[in-house]
Amino acid sequence: MTFYVPKQYYTFYMSNLDLKQRLEILADSAKYDVSCSSSGSNRKGVPGGVGNTASSGICHTWTADGRCISLLKILLTNSCLYDCAYCVNRNSNPIQRTALTPDEVVRLTMDFYRRNYIEGLFLSTGVFHSADHTMEQLILVARKLRLEERFNGYIHMKVVPGADSQLIRQIGLYADRVSINIELPSSRSLQLLAPDKTRQSLIAPMRQLSGLIETSRQERKQSRKAPQFAPAGQSTQLIIGATPESDLEIIRLSEVLYQRLAMKRVYYSAFVPVSSDNRLPAMAVPPLLREHRLYQADWLLRFYGFAAHELLDQNNPNLDMRLDPKTGWAMRHLELFPVEVNRADYEVLLRVPGIGVRSAQRIVVARREGRLKEEELKRLGVVLSRARYFITADGRYLGGIKLDGPELLTRLTAPKRRKAALDQLELFPPSAAVTAITGEL
Amino acid sequence: MQRYRYQDGFEGFLCAVSLCLVDGAEPTGFLRGTVETEPDLFGETVIEIATDRQTALQFRERFMKAVSQPAFATARYAFHSQRADVELLLWRYFTLGLKTGKRMGNMLADRDVATVDKLGRGVAHEAHKYKGFIRFRELKQGFLYACIEPQADILVFLAPHFVQRIGDRPWMIHDMQRAQAAIYDLKQWRLLQGVESSSTPEYTQIEEECTELWQHYFKRMAIKERYNPKLQQQHVPLRSRKYLVEFEPIK
Repeated sequence: MTFYVPKQYYTFYMSNLDLKQRLEILADSAKYDVSCSSSGSNRKGVPGGVGNTASSGICHTWTADGRCISLLKILLTNSCLYDCAYCVNRNSNPIQRTALTPDEVVRLTMDFYRRNYIEGLFLSTGVFHSADHTMEQLILVARKLRLEERFNGYIHMKVVPGADSQLIRQIGLYADRVSINIELPSSRSLQLLAPDKTRQSLIAPMRQLSGLIETSRQERKQSRKAPQFAPAGQSTQLIIGATPESDLEIIRLSEVLYQRLAMKRVYYSAFVPVSSDNRLPAMAVPPLLREHRLYQADWLLRFYGFAAHELLDQNNPNLDMRLDPKTGWAMRHLELFPVEVNRADYEVLLRVPGIGVRSAQRIVVARREGRLKEEELKRLGVVLSRARYFITADGRYLGGIKLDGPELLTRLTAPKRRKAALDQLELFPPSAAVTAITGEL
Repeated sequence: MQRYRYQDGFEGFLCAVSLCLVDGAEPTGFLRGTVETEPDLFGETVIEIATDRQTALQFRERFMKAVSQPAFATARYAFHSQRADVELLLWRYFTLGLKTGKRMGNMLADRDVATVDKLGRGVAHEAHKYKGFIRFRELKQGFLYACIEPQADILVFLAPHFVQRIGDRPWMIHDMQRAQAAIYDLKQWRLLQGVESSSTPEYTQIEEECTELWQHYFKRMAIKERYNPKLQQQHVPLRSRKYLVEFEPIK
């Protein structure tokens, strides 16, 4: 076997694998990071240039596990100094190690982007040599893309905890989004599974990023010429099910992150056992339903005006797997229902199970022009399967049965019947609410 | 009893609408340029509409001023669904808007407004999906080429997006079913009708390499413990896979 050193400052050797093999290995090492979104940034293309960003984000394809691909998600290297038990790239894991050079990453990004495979690049990496050195390599890639290739597409960059604050300052000038993964929801779990990291070493750079993002936003209000710093904000990820934290602890942490650090997104990643470390639980399948319920709860925090303590408390520390968390909340507050759709405030409508942001908005607008009955609600596209038990429409209760806890619960958790054949005549059936799973908005 | 035959898509249709308004006529139907005239059984007359850009723009201004820009955008999306009776539906939508003015923005529960809204959202959704699903391939002739077979006529919504995005290469997006294409020549984009591909496209060497890299990357990104082809199919229906390189068998 022959070896070569691609850059004089790489401290490890790469075996002579071809680009395809290295891309595969590094994709394997990157895929457990679930962040996929390319949203939150709106950069116009320049005439004759390459790239722009759409604030809605764009998904380009979906893999066989149903997750979307929006960005070229890749590691610069999967070689890592750290030995975090939950991580596929941990130092003690006997997997093949390799790397891409910054130039290779740039070329792949440009080639894939031009063919419209992707919205941009999501670059992460194992920590090699030192946090600062690793960070410098990431910055090099981002700078090449922006300055040499004049690339205006989306760039999401991982920030290496422990890197110098001057380097952190630089990365946000090129990246749309930046992220540091907390991974484990509590300090004690972190201590147990990632002895090289402390909660503080993760929170400190997140705080710095939050400050820089806010400052840049203020400065740009004064002058459009002020430099942008990570206009799509920062995100983070929590691993679900590798450690014993309750949903209450997780959702409370998310709430704090959204409120104090103005986090754009918290991602939840059902733990996939990537090692047989005895500090980790033995699991046959990743807890996907729990992950889904946490995303639903997260959405309630961000778009529906819910507080963590309304969804979960010491007596109910975990989300009900049978019901979505909003229905769960409503079942504990049946005294508030039914509400009259023609009168209820927008904030109240948002709390009705089955009524989403778009439906609530449409109801509020449409009722200015006339009373809404069942037929009108259907025309607005309001899905009544759950909502009917919690509303009246022009004085008429649509649920049919008396609002009583146990019976209602049976109805709501009954397996879905097949849709009537009539539904199939619709030209454009409303897309399912699966967007919450992919994380796109 | 009058029917109107228009040419050139949406612009032509707006001209037909304008003329109906001027005539004070209640049209019984609209015919698209390519449709054969049926035998004239009931003494209906067919009025030929010449497309005049200025007339179309004037109507656009008038409707946007009376109602709103989003209401006009919705109508434009809905038109491109090419649903059989979409013209009469839009005729009612436009006249309702001119009659009720800004209030129409609230009339989401009105039957016609709701139908147009739904159609419009469907087309906008498909156009958004295809901003992701376009796959350009580099041809030996020196430009990027993408084939699509969408349900709605969405080229006019896609082209401006890609002008912004890939401005440094000439490209063509080819709607195979409708035999039309959007082409970009580094200066501007145009819509061409009657575009057929005569031979199998020849790709460059770099193209073959990129395809292979992307296919392998795509395959590896799936986590096998989360395998869920049903969910995948919800997002990427089989009909939209035909030209997605990642779903082609790896050579």
